[in-house]
Amino acid sequence: MIDSKFIPRHRTVLVVDDQEINRDALGIILEDDYDVLYACDGEEAMQVIEARLNDLSIVLLDLIMPKLNGFEVLERAKKDEQMRQIPFIVLTAEKNAELKALQMGAADFITKPFDMHEVILARVARIIELSEGRQLINAAEHDRLTGLLTRSFFFEYVEQLYRYRSDKGMDALVLNVEQFHSVNALHGREFGDRVLRMLGSIIQDFLKSQKGIACRAEADRFEIYCQPQEDYQALLHQFQEEINAFSPDVSVHLRMGVNPAGEDVEPVVMFDRAKAACNLVRGNFQNPLMIYDEELRRRELLNQRLLNDLRAAVDEKQFTVYYQPKYDIQCDPPRLSSAEALIRWKHPELGMISPGQFIPLFEGNGLISVVDHYVWECASRQIAAWKKKFQFSLPVSINLSRADFYDKNLVERLDLLIKENQLEYRELKLELTESAYTENAKHVMEVLGKLRDLGFDIEMDDFGSGYSSLNMLSEMPLDVLKMDMKFVRHIESSQTSFRLVKLILDIASNLSLKVVAEGVETKGQLTLLKDSGCDIVQGFYFSKPVPPEQMEELIEKEIGIARKERTI
Amino acid sequence: MTLQELYQLIDGDYERAIHVLMVEKLIDKHIRKLVKNGVVASLLEAGKTMDPTQLFETAHAAKGVCANLGLVKIADAASEIAEEYRPGNARSMSDEMVREKLAEIEKLYQKAVDGIRQYEGA
Repeated sequence: MIDSKFIPRHRTVLVVDDQEINRDALGIILEDDYDVLYACDGEEAMQVIEARLNDLSIVLLDLIMPKLNGFEVLERAKKDEQMRQIPFIVLTAEKNAELKALQMGAADFITKPFDMHEVILARVARIIELSEGRQLINAAEHDRLTGLLTRSFFFEYVEQLYRYRSDKGMDALVLNVEQFHSVNALHGREFGDRVLRMLGSIIQDFLKSQKGIACRAEADRFEIYCQPQEDYQALLHQFQEEINAFSPDVSVHLRMGVNPAGEDVEPVVMFDRAKAACNLVRGNFQNPLMIYDEELRRRELLNQRLLNDLRAAVDEKQFTVYYQPKYDIQCDPPRLSSAEALIRWKHPELGMISPGQFIPLFEGNGLISVVDHYVWECASRQIAAWKKKFQFSLPVSINLSRADFYDKNLVERLDLLIKENQLEYRELKLELTESAYTENAKHVMEVLGKLRDLGFDIEMDDFGSGYSSLNMLSEMPLDVLKMDMKFVRHIESSQTSFRLVKLILDIASNLSLKVVAEGVETKGQLTLLKDSGCDIVQGFYFSKPVPPEQMEELIEKEIGIARKERTI
Repeated sequence: MTLQELYQLIDGDYERAIHVLMVEKLIDKHIRKLVKNGVVASLLEAGKTMDPTQLFETAHAAKGVCANLGLVKIADAASEIAEEYRPGNARSMSDEMVREKLAEIEKLYQKAVDGIRQYEGA
């Protein structure tokens, strides 16, 4: 790292004195360290300052001069926003003049004659340093794009308002632009920046009549700390109307999370909560406002607890792997063909926790791989155990999450499971969802290709639930499509659903892919699927997910059927 | 004649001049200019009318230039006159005393001018 103080900087000093000897005397002191400009009276000084506003580091100003004296120069500079940023050191020998000049905004003074060279150099350097520091602070305080505060300064001021508050407290608001990256991608960065500037301006207008401050925390996230509002729905509506008026042709949707004042919590926590609330209404165009309340707080606390308890759950074997059987329905009677391994968590204090609660949570925090590895190992051992116990091979599907593909050793890890448990590759089937493929598709396809080359079957889970594309089906190394349960749910009552199911079966057949229908619950669904050529089904009609002991009963039943068939 | 010899001749403080201006070249430049720029001559001229503003401004300028050049006696005398006529200051000298001070400056200045001319001719 290069220390910023070692980055060479070009600094320019303007020496203003009507006496050439004074200009020369200062020039010779300063010229080794600075670029030195000269002016011989106040008027010339003003001209130079105006022309070199951006690169003048300091002005050394004599006070008694013809045309325009030093005090008049200071007076004029004080009135100009930009000139005011330049520090002035006055050159004088008069004590009274020193005081007056300092009162008028001079940063320091140097006494004549200029016989203390080191003192002069030190004063000039110190004042420049202070001035540059102040300018840096000014630049760091405000977001260049919107003019609002930057996040760090915002929180500094919020903390002060919180600490020294005299009233009942302020609310924390987080405002986001829905799908802002798409706005940028579709309409250009320049348009995106204009939207952000407009939002900054809308917030500033709002704060003109309110007690509060605001910042652009990052990208399209704005944070506002303001006195409690009566109706946040109305406020968000007002912001949305203003942004609509600004952008009538391009839809820009806002969403807002609010943590109302009340409970005595640190502002940083309030903004975390407001942000969490704002995230919960992501994509909710009907109701883009969420007020953080007790229910949300409880959910957050539970999530935090589950995250904290994950490691212990693995160590203490609180997780159990359940198995849901899959049946080949083209046989009569249907035959147990495989099973899917599904995780269950029996928490020592909270009891059974729904996978719908903890799986999305761990997926969001990148911890899902811990759970996945646990399931893979249990399932592999279980397949081997059943083989040994029943001399019966029951392939089991395990789930691969998006995060698993970031593991450089994924292929080796799965290969090792096969070898350690003396399985065949076809006995451990790999399921992944469409969403795992949509991110970093090239890499995922490469890894799947390697796994398939080893002999693993690849199953596409929840097909049709997300952004499926035919292109993906043609590109991906796949063996099985698992049709999402929402297609099956209505096939008895909806012709559209039934046609869609048949269409998926046709596509799969043309691509030589087997189809597993998920969520089969009734005899009617089973019959329609069988008649339409579906190979395998999974669902409560046959069995809910069951613990290994109950799965063994199904295996024994299957073995009985097989024996009977052989006898016949 | 060297600069140091000139300073001895005109009763100036060479060490102070070199301390302020740092290089002899600058002393040479400005000691030669002392005659041409008329900064002390203007003060003596102001003494003829005894105009307070003129006296203050010219005395202030003469004080600064001479102090830088190490012409300490002229600088001190000019400083007394500048303070006498600085706006806001109460007068402490009579006009007669000011004239005496100006005469003292003129004598010192003339001595300096004579020396400088010799130096320039050397």
